[in-house]
Amino acid sequence: MDATFESLLLGFSVAFRPDVLWYAFLGCLVGTLVGMLPGIGPLAGISILLPITFGLDATKAIVMLAGIYYGSQYGGSTTSILLRIPGEAASVMTCIDGNAMARKGRAGAALCIAAVGSFCAGTFGVIVLTLIAPPLAVFALRFGPPEYTALLVLGLIFLAYMSTTSLTRTLLMATFGLLLGTVGIDVMTGHFRYSFNIAELGDGLGIVPVAVGLFGLGEILATPSRQVVGDVVRPRLRELWPNREEWRQSVAPIARGSVLGFLIGIIPGSAHIISSFLSYAVERRVAKHPEEFGKGAVAGVAGPESANNAASTGAFVPMLALGLPTGPVTAVLIAALLIHGIPPGPTLVNDHPTVFWGFVASMYVGNLMLLALNLPLVGVFVNLLRIPYAYLYPLIIMFCVIGVYEVNHSVVDVWIMLIMGVVGYGLKKFGFDPAPLVLGLVIAPIFEMSLRQSLIMSNGNYLIFLQRPIALVLLAVSLGLLLMAIVSFLLRRRDWRAKLAEAEAAESK
Amino acid sequence: MILRTDHVAGAIFVALGIAVFALSGDLPFGTLSAPGAGMMPKLTASLMMVCAAVLIMFGTDSPPFAGLDWSDRWHAVLVVAITAVATASYQRLGFLITMTLLVFALLVVVERANPLRAGAYSIALALSAYWLFGKALKAPLERGLFWL
Repeated sequence: MDATFESLLLGFSVAFRPDVLWYAFLGCLVGTLVGMLPGIGPLAGISILLPITFGLDATKAIVMLAGIYYGSQYGGSTTSILLRIPGEAASVMTCIDGNAMARKGRAGAALCIAAVGSFCAGTFGVIVLTLIAPPLAVFALRFGPPEYTALLVLGLIFLAYMSTTSLTRTLLMATFGLLLGTVGIDVMTGHFRYSFNIAELGDGLGIVPVAVGLFGLGEILATPSRQVVGDVVRPRLRELWPNREEWRQSVAPIARGSVLGFLIGIIPGSAHIISSFLSYAVERRVAKHPEEFGKGAVAGVAGPESANNAASTGAFVPMLALGLPTGPVTAVLIAALLIHGIPPGPTLVNDHPTVFWGFVASMYVGNLMLLALNLPLVGVFVNLLRIPYAYLYPLIIMFCVIGVYEVNHSVVDVWIMLIMGVVGYGLKKFGFDPAPLVLGLVIAPIFEMSLRQSLIMSNGNYLIFLQRPIALVLLAVSLGLLLMAIVSFLLRRRDWRAKLAEAEAAESK
Repeated sequence: MILRTDHVAGAIFVALGIAVFALSGDLPFGTLSAPGAGMMPKLTASLMMVCAAVLIMFGTDSPPFAGLDWSDRWHAVLVVAITAVATASYQRLGFLITMTLLVFALLVVVERANPLRAGAYSIALALSAYWLFGKALKAPLERGLFWL
C-alpha cells in the first residue's frame, strides 16, 4: 500500500505539471463538446484527434485522449437533459428522466446531479483502478501466449454474452471484425492477405479509419439534417443546486451506479453503454415508487450517469494492466500508446511509471476539472447546441477526413473510412451494433499471433491450453458462458439481456 | 414468404464469406497444429457464414425488408459522392481548396443553403482548420498543385 501511495505521489508530480494540466484540461473540454454534440461520440472524437497527439510525449497524449473519453460521458448528459437527444450512446437513459426533470423546471438540478454523480463515480473508479491495476499487472506477468489466447476467447464470448442485441448478431459482427483484422501481411509467413496489390493494405486495416467510418461518417449518413430538430430547454442557473430531497434521492443511486458501472467496465463490450441501461433497470427495480420513472425520477438520472462514468474508468483496468482492449475506445487508446512506443500491459507500471501513474493521477484532476467545467459553464455549452446540424456535420466530415489522413498521410485510409462509413450506414439500417466489429478487428492480429505462438511452444499440441491453469480457468469460464447463452437462445428464454434489449429498443424510438 | 431484414443481412454475409474463400486460393491453410496464412481467414469466414445462416434460419421475427426506411438514402448518397470527390482530389488540390469545396458542396448541394453564406462559412472553416492543424499543431498538411 505504501508503494502504491508513493507511486501515486509520483503520478501527481507529473499530473500537476502545467503542460500536463493543460492537456488534461484540453481533453476534458473537447470531451465535453464531443459528448454534447449529437452524431460524434467519444470514439470518433478520439480517432479524429489522435493525429494531434503525435507531436506530444506519451503522457500528455494519453492524458488528453483519456480526458476526451471520460469527458464525453459528462458532456453527453447535458444534451440528453436539455434536448432529449443523447449526445452519445451511453446517455440514452438520461434522456428519459433528465429531460422530464427539465420540463418540470428542474433542468439545473438534473445537470448538477448528473455532474456530481459523474464526479463521484469517476473518482471512485480511479481509486479502485489505483488499487487493483498494479497487482493485476504483476499477476499478468505470468501470462504467456496460451493465457492471452484463452483471455481473448473469453473476451469475445463475454462480449457476445453481454450483448443486448442477439448472440448471433454480436458473434456475426465480431467474426466480420476478425476477418477484416486478417487483411495485410501475415507476420509469421510473410504472405500478403487480401491486399489487392495496394501497398498500404500490407499493414492491415487501421483502427482509426474503420472506427471513424463506422461511428462518425456512418452516423452522419443515417442522419439527414431535417431529422434533427432540437428544442433546447434553457436551464435556470439560479436553480442549479438540487434541494435536500433531491440530494437524498440521488445518494444511493450514485453509490450503486458507481459500483455496478466499474464492474461492468472491466468486462469487454460497449461497457459504458450497457452499464447505464443496467443501472436504470436496477434503480427502477429497487425504487419505492417505480411509477415515477419516466416522469422525472432523480434516481433515473443519478444512477445511469454514475454508471457510465464508472464504466469508462473501469475499462482502463484491463487496458493498462493486461494491454487488452475492452472496447473500441480503449483499442484506439492502446493504438495511441503504441504509436508513442509505449506497449500497454503488465510491464507498463514498472517500465513507464511516469506514464502509468501520471495518467492515473491526471484522472483525479480531470474529474475535478469536469465538475468545474460542466456546472458553471453549462450556459456557454447550451449555446453550442443551437448551431444548426446542417452546418455542424460538414465540419465533422472535414475533421474525419483530416484526422484519418493525418495518421499515416495515406489517402487509402480516407477511402477505407468512406467505405466503412457506407458499411456503418448499412449496419445501422439492419440493426447491427458495429462495436464488436471494431473489437474483432483489434483482437484478430493479437489472437492469431498468440494462438500460433502457443502451438509453436507445444509442437502443435492443443492440450497446452488445458495444461496451464490460468488458461484452463479462462476457457472453462468461456465454455460456461457460451452454454448459458446457447441454452437461453434455444429455449427462447427472456433473460435480463432480452428485457434490457427491449428497453433499449423502446427508448431509441 | 415475407422477405425479412435478417434474411437479406444473412445472405449478404454468406456471400461475403464465399467471396473470402474465392479470394483465398493462394493462401496455404497449413494444418490445425501448424496453421498457415490462410487458416485464420478461412476459419473466421466459415464461422461468419454459420452465424449468417443461423440469422437467416431464425430471421422470421425481424422486420420485413420492404418496411425498411430508406428516406435518408439521397442524403447518404450525396454525402458519400461529395466526400469521395474530395478524397480523390485531396492530394492534387491541397488542403485549403479541397476542404473549402467539400464544406461548400455539402452545404449547397445537400442542404440547399444560401451560396453566399455557405461560401463564407466554408472559407472561414477551412482557414480555421488550416491554422489549427497546420500552424498551431504543426501537422504537415497537403499543399497540392497550387501550394495551398
